[in-house]
Amino acid sequence: MTDGLQSDLIAAVATAPGQGGIGVVRLSGVGARQVAEQVCGKSLTPRRASFSDFSDGAEVIDQGLVLLFSEGASFTGEEVVELQGHGGPVVLQRLLDLVCSLGARVARPGEFSERAFLNGNIDLAQAEAIADLIASSSVSAARAALRSLQGDFSARVHALEEDLAGLRVLVEACIDFPDEDVDFLEQVQVQQRVDALVELLAALKQQSQQGKILNEGASVALLGAPNAGKSSLLNVLAGEEAAIVTDIPGTTRDLLKVDLVLDGLPLRLVDTAGLRHTTDHVEQIGVARARAQAEHADLLLLLLDLTTLPQPLRRADVEHQLALLLQDVASDAQKILVLNKLDLVDTAPTATNVQDADHAAVAAADRNLWPGFKISAKTGDGIPQLRRGITQALGFEQQEATFTARARHIDALDQAATALQAALSELKLGQSTEIVAEELRSAHLALGEIVGTVTPDDLLGRIFSEFCIGK
Amino acid sequence: MQYPDHFDVIVVGGGHAGTEAAAAAARMGVKTLLLTQSIETIGQMSCNPAIGGIGKSHLVAEIDAMDGIMARATDRAGIHFKVLNASKGPAVRATRAQADRALYKNAVRDLLEHQDHLHIFQQSVVDFLIDGDQVTGVQTQMGLTFRCHAIVLTTGTFLGGKVHIGTQNHPGGRAGDAPSIALAERLRALPFRVGRLKTGTPPRIDGRTVDFSVMQVQAGDDPRPVMSALGNASDHPRQVDCHITRTNPDTHAVIQANLDRSAMYSGAIEGVGPRYCPSIEDKVVRFADKTAHQIFVEPEGLNTTELYPNGISTSLPFDAQLQFVRSIEGFEHAHISRPGYAIEYDFFDPCDLQYSLQTKALAGLFFAGQINGTTGYEEAGAQGLLAGINAARLVQGKAAWEPRRDEAYIGVMVDDLINLGTSEPYRMFTSRAEFRLRLREDNADQRLTERGAELGVVGAARAAHYQEKMVNLAQLHQTVAQTWVAPGSDLAGALGVTLQKNTELAAILRRPEVSTAALQRAWPEQSLGLLEQVIIETKYAGYIARQDEEIAKIRRHEGMTLPQLMDYADIDGLSNELRQKLAAAQPSTLARAARIPGMTPAALSILLVHAKKQHGQTASSGATELAPSTQPNKVMH
Repeated sequence: MTDGLQSDLIAAVATAPGQGGIGVVRLSGVGARQVAEQVCGKSLTPRRASFSDFSDGAEVIDQGLVLLFSEGASFTGEEVVELQGHGGPVVLQRLLDLVCSLGARVARPGEFSERAFLNGNIDLAQAEAIADLIASSSVSAARAALRSLQGDFSARVHALEEDLAGLRVLVEACIDFPDEDVDFLEQVQVQQRVDALVELLAALKQQSQQGKILNEGASVALLGAPNAGKSSLLNVLAGEEAAIVTDIPGTTRDLLKVDLVLDGLPLRLVDTAGLRHTTDHVEQIGVARARAQAEHADLLLLLLDLTTLPQPLRRADVEHQLALLLQDVASDAQKILVLNKLDLVDTAPTATNVQDADHAAVAAADRNLWPGFKISAKTGDGIPQLRRGITQALGFEQQEATFTARARHIDALDQAATALQAALSELKLGQSTEIVAEELRSAHLALGEIVGTVTPDDLLGRIFSEFCIGK
Repeated sequence: MQYPDHFDVIVVGGGHAGTEAAAAAARMGVKTLLLTQSIETIGQMSCNPAIGGIGKSHLVAEIDAMDGIMARATDRAGIHFKVLNASKGPAVRATRAQADRALYKNAVRDLLEHQDHLHIFQQSVVDFLIDGDQVTGVQTQMGLTFRCHAIVLTTGTFLGGKVHIGTQNHPGGRAGDAPSIALAERLRALPFRVGRLKTGTPPRIDGRTVDFSVMQVQAGDDPRPVMSALGNASDHPRQVDCHITRTNPDTHAVIQANLDRSAMYSGAIEGVGPRYCPSIEDKVVRFADKTAHQIFVEPEGLNTTELYPNGISTSLPFDAQLQFVRSIEGFEHAHISRPGYAIEYDFFDPCDLQYSLQTKALAGLFFAGQINGTTGYEEAGAQGLLAGINAARLVQGKAAWEPRRDEAYIGVMVDDLINLGTSEPYRMFTSRAEFRLRLREDNADQRLTERGAELGVVGAARAAHYQEKMVNLAQLHQTVAQTWVAPGSDLAGALGVTLQKNTELAAILRRPEVSTAALQRAWPEQSLGLLEQVIIETKYAGYIARQDEEIAKIRRHEGMTLPQLMDYADIDGLSNELRQKLAAAQPSTLARAARIPGMTPAALSILLVHAKKQHGQTASSGATELAPSTQPNKVMH
């Protein structure tokens, strides 16, 4: 057993995710040096910055400066390492994942400050401020995490916890009340229920969209009629000649993917073949792929050519074109309406213009009130607004709190999933009930990080209310 | 008069808590007096005649590991032994014995009478002698005073006890015994928070009027388990069977028809009963769709025909009891020898205790057993042991023994009680122990005996027995670690495994299908107990290691004290619900706060910072706060 007063190793991204040139992952606690030396593949000297690859052993994730502070000579008072790389949420997340896989855990909000304070590195007078910081950042982090872990994350975690508790009630009752003539469980039933929980958890993780965004980047599909300017828009957003842009309709026959970071948000932008009915076999394949791509995207940019719409814009015309565009595309992803070729029509592309009556009419084109933007891919007019619209639509909030809270929640879900998987394999192996119960307890403990402590008495209370127990 | 001799420790009450407390204090060599209303009822089993069972047997094993008396008395008095959960894993296996009441009482009295440093006196205690906030003695009914350093109060259900049968009630500590009213009034005047609990018993039945032929027979286990690590099945008296019968719709109809005359349902009882031990009225009302409830027909002893029909505790009037009993198969002609009754009694909020079981309000006064809101002989005995040890430690001027949750069920129980209080009679279950896999019956001695020897509560014979076991166990572990099993070898055959290649024996022992019996077939010269121990430890090694991390984290939090009387209402960032819970519990350490339902990591951080701030304001230097709350106890594996 380790010394009871040593602090375990925590890690977090210390810089706000976004456009900054540097992204820092900070480690504090026992073993910080060891983990960092593994990541850097070399031994480190305290207080000396050195340039290093950050590698998981197989692949170099980033490069940058590494700084080691010895215990007693750091911000937190513990052994601290800073890995200063190039940043970007994807890279930082991978780096954080890496150090966590080597033994660190994701820090709670304000935990670095808390440790600094506890080790006497922050003045006592600041105590209140630190507590407030933790309080407010936990609250906002929790809120932000719940919001950003899209959909009804909170409700789902609670539902999952409820199911798990229900299962534990049966397993614990089976252990603690063997004399009862109540059939608490049959092995198969438990296995089915654990199976179901594993699936629920997997679905929950998958649906925590933002987690996926952090790992892989969000996927944004460009959809539009041929020659509406999809490739031009892609080039503008990507800042390079990624797609061949011509005036000939149907130029883009295949999917073109560009990975880019938009205001700190990693994106995979997919240009689809112009959606139109065609007899060209190759182009038909491209159109089919475009649809498939659209169906899997996190966000659809629906591109219309302003020159093909009568001016001033009328809602019915826009709706008609959108209906054509979306026919056969089954997607419940978010959508943004983009009206291109502003330079070829008279309306001015001011920022306020995006909010004007025209726009309102367009935005109302769908009952979901998608945001709409008028742009010119050619001149760049309206592009900044569109960029902001994209990042907003993807729900990305540039807050440290969001970032770590989300990572911690996902961490907790991962731990729960691992424990449930173990429970499942032990059930299949025919291990005894108390071992399975231990794994279920582990899973519950992990979820408790999100939903709060669950006590044995809570379970016992349920046992007694659900079953007639006792002599 | 004042009794001329001065005692170190006086134990009030001769039940299961009192006898363990008195014996433990005396084993530690301090001069101990046991004061009881009646010497004849020392070690009396007031409720069902059984010791052990799930969670409870773990407590018995821990008492035994500290050289206590409960397990030894059970081995002398047990007339039916069984291992519950035998088909489940070793951590949740539990031994239970039906005991002959008379033999059990005799065994306890015999063990006490042969205990050095222990004296017994028959007299009811009515008052304490108090000097400032320190107890200095007791006064008995006849005006006799005894002076002492420490008192362990174990008054069971006798404090303000009231017996209910139907609509009638009368003061009583147990059917047939007087309650301790004077003492209850005295205690109510002291600064303790008092609550009311209730419990019930079934009517007893004369076995000569019962038809066992229609009941399901339950035989004891063969080979027969023992309770004490020093026990031997050959010490057991003659063994008998138990029986099972069931209630039926007719029984339920009688109960339904008489509910308005049940003490519980007529509102005559204010105390809260246990959820896990409902009266038959409760079962019939709350689980109306069940058409039958089990009744375990337990013998009261070898030389009596009286039976304890476990499962039909009731506070219905006698005529209804007789009517519903006679509706049950096998009981058609039953003669009730004693009516069932419910009993209400005072208990003191255990949150007013320290972990040593010494009261916060009065130095030298310890509470143990039902007075603290628990139920069960084993729960009482375990607290008695702890209180007895700590009363002696106090006399000796030494730090209290405070077993942790990862060391002992005793630690789990005391922590639950003190940290969370209780709203119903508290009973042990294995699910209360988060470190269940390490808190087993089979390793209670490994967890506690060495510590007991250090405390001086474990005698030479047990210490020697333990040392010998540990030497043999270490050797056997070494042998296992060095053994590889070849495919098709005799060992592989004996273990019943098919191997592809040479395999470590330890890896094979982790397989669920490999049994202790199989290993003994291979190694007949080894003792079954040791082989079992090695297999268990091998199987659990991975889980235990993982729990070590969890325990390390808790211990860090254990080392961080929270100020007493912290004003949680002033702390921002806590939910109102948590504020209320914290204000009620006033946890003394962060680890204890962490066990409050609904507690979150963020809330703990906030508490920690506030605690440090408050400490900082009262302490002169910044370096002394957050000292470990107690001297860390040694962990024994």
